[in-house]
Amino acid sequence: MTATNISRVALVVFAGLLLAVPVVMPMFVSPFWIDIIAEILIWSLLAASVNLLLGYVGLLSFGQALFFGVGMYGAALSVIHWGADFWGGLAVGIVAAMLMAAIAGSVAVRLTWHYFAIITVVFSLILYFAAMSAKPITGGDDGISFSTPKVFSFGDLELSLADQSVQYYTILLVVAACYGLFGLIVRSPLGVRFMAVRENDRRAALVGINVYLTRYLAFVLAGGLAGASGALFAFFGRYASASYMFYHVSGEAVVWAIVGGAGSLLGPLFGTGLLIIFRELISTVWEHYLFVVGAITVLVVMFAPRGLAGAWSDFMKVIGRNKPAETPTSNPGLSKPAADTKLGG
Amino acid sequence: MTALAIDDLKANIGKVPVLRGVSLRVEPGETVALLGRNGVGKTSTLRAILGLLKRTGGTASYNGVNLESVAPHKLAALGLGYVPQGRGMFPLLTVKENLTLGLTGTPDPEIIADVFRRFPRLEERLSQPAGTLSGGEQQMLALARCLVMKPSLIMLDEPTEGIMPKLVSQIRHEIDEIAKRGISVLLVEQNLRTALRLANRVYLMERGTIVHEATPAALRADPSTIHRYLGVSL
Repeated sequence: MTATNISRVALVVFAGLLLAVPVVMPMFVSPFWIDIIAEILIWSLLAASVNLLLGYVGLLSFGQALFFGVGMYGAALSVIHWGADFWGGLAVGIVAAMLMAAIAGSVAVRLTWHYFAIITVVFSLILYFAAMSAKPITGGDDGISFSTPKVFSFGDLELSLADQSVQYYTILLVVAACYGLFGLIVRSPLGVRFMAVRENDRRAALVGINVYLTRYLAFVLAGGLAGASGALFAFFGRYASASYMFYHVSGEAVVWAIVGGAGSLLGPLFGTGLLIIFRELISTVWEHYLFVVGAITVLVVMFAPRGLAGAWSDFMKVIGRNKPAETPTSNPGLSKPAADTKLGG
Repeated sequence: MTALAIDDLKANIGKVPVLRGVSLRVEPGETVALLGRNGVGKTSTLRAILGLLKRTGGTASYNGVNLESVAPHKLAALGLGYVPQGRGMFPLLTVKENLTLGLTGTPDPEIIADVFRRFPRLEERLSQPAGTLSGGEQQMLALARCLVMKPSLIMLDEPTEGIMPKLVSQIRHEIDEIAKRGISVLLVEQNLRTALRLANRVYLMERGTIVHEATPAALRADPSTIHRYLGVSL
């Protein structure tokens, strides 16, 4: 079996495990862990939004919590004021976050490096304080609660997030759809442009790529991912609070993305999973568990700079090198089927 | 109409002036070489034309369009191609991705077929990251990437630098072929023989300005000028 096939099998097994969580997990541990896995899936979308910017376009954002918060309030307020169902609330949350990203991005993506990181923090702080002070609408630090809307109804059949399994599978479905869309984008010509801008923006401009527009699109899409994460989290907790717009939430997402592997599609999911499971296991026995999270991050940056996903990829390459080639090629592991490599008509 | 017209172009790096008034012309279908010792401002001239180096004076126009008001990403659409020193690849992207990066829509099959006929090695390595290609293959890819954008003028910065000798002649041949197809070429080259063989006209630079203009034949017949400005002999 080649390294690529091992990775594919591992991915299928992983997907199978995620599907089996509500059925299998209660046999071994408390059902509470089903909610933890659901929470990991939700937060991983926020890490994925950081990953889209940092790993694919080369922009380090410390402001993704802003779009998470806007997604959260978009979902909550649409349920409270318009009586939206789950899907309507989710759509409002995502669209509101993308609109906010479109506004913030028109200024932010004109900057790069630390200037970009700083302006994303500034935007995040402005909106955080605005949300905190608009208490009649946002509930400020206390937040606003709402009752859970239905997910699906047909005749007598009604599915609601009040059912833990329905909630889990609904979250899994939305998160899987977001990752699927993310994967399609980064493999499209637009995704190649993202990576070209990340590698060298001047060169990219000289081959005809509008660097500003490319970064702007990435910023708006990343805002949509963060908004989806926020909207899901609002439905998960039946609650929205301005406290989630603070920049430390963005900082956590950056850590998850880096530990998981910025620049790989699923890396942030693994980074988020590792650190949230770690938090749940250790924080009950040691309140200063963040010291260890810091140590893990430093170790990953030093010894696996491409994160868990990069380490897995390197491990697979080692396996690939140690195995005798099944079909001799001049460049094992890089060859693609001929149909994939054709250009033009 | 003159393809590329540069008049009294001035530019600084920081506060240090590197171009002190460069004027040159490239006519349609013409190959012009820009020669000079290291550090005289040849690469800076190309970078200032493209707007990568801030111009402090003078003008650069391409087919009558003042390049002052043209954003770098629109130059390729105007038909101005550039192959920088060091090839300017995106090493982590595949050969295929490098080739099609700047295109909007489906690549023209005729142009792609032509590129693969000229550079068959690239077709064999389409799915390979560009950073894993040899220097010569990267140069071929850089030329090919320029050609798929259908340029009417290509600026080449030291295309044979650092390439194994057996590939230099192929690169030289391809540049000659590009010129035969009516594409104008502005060539910056350290290799005097290559430049004189390819160019219709030659400019010599010194200290950020053009000091001599001649045809290759006239320059060959003037070894003292070659020695004075280039420090070599033919």
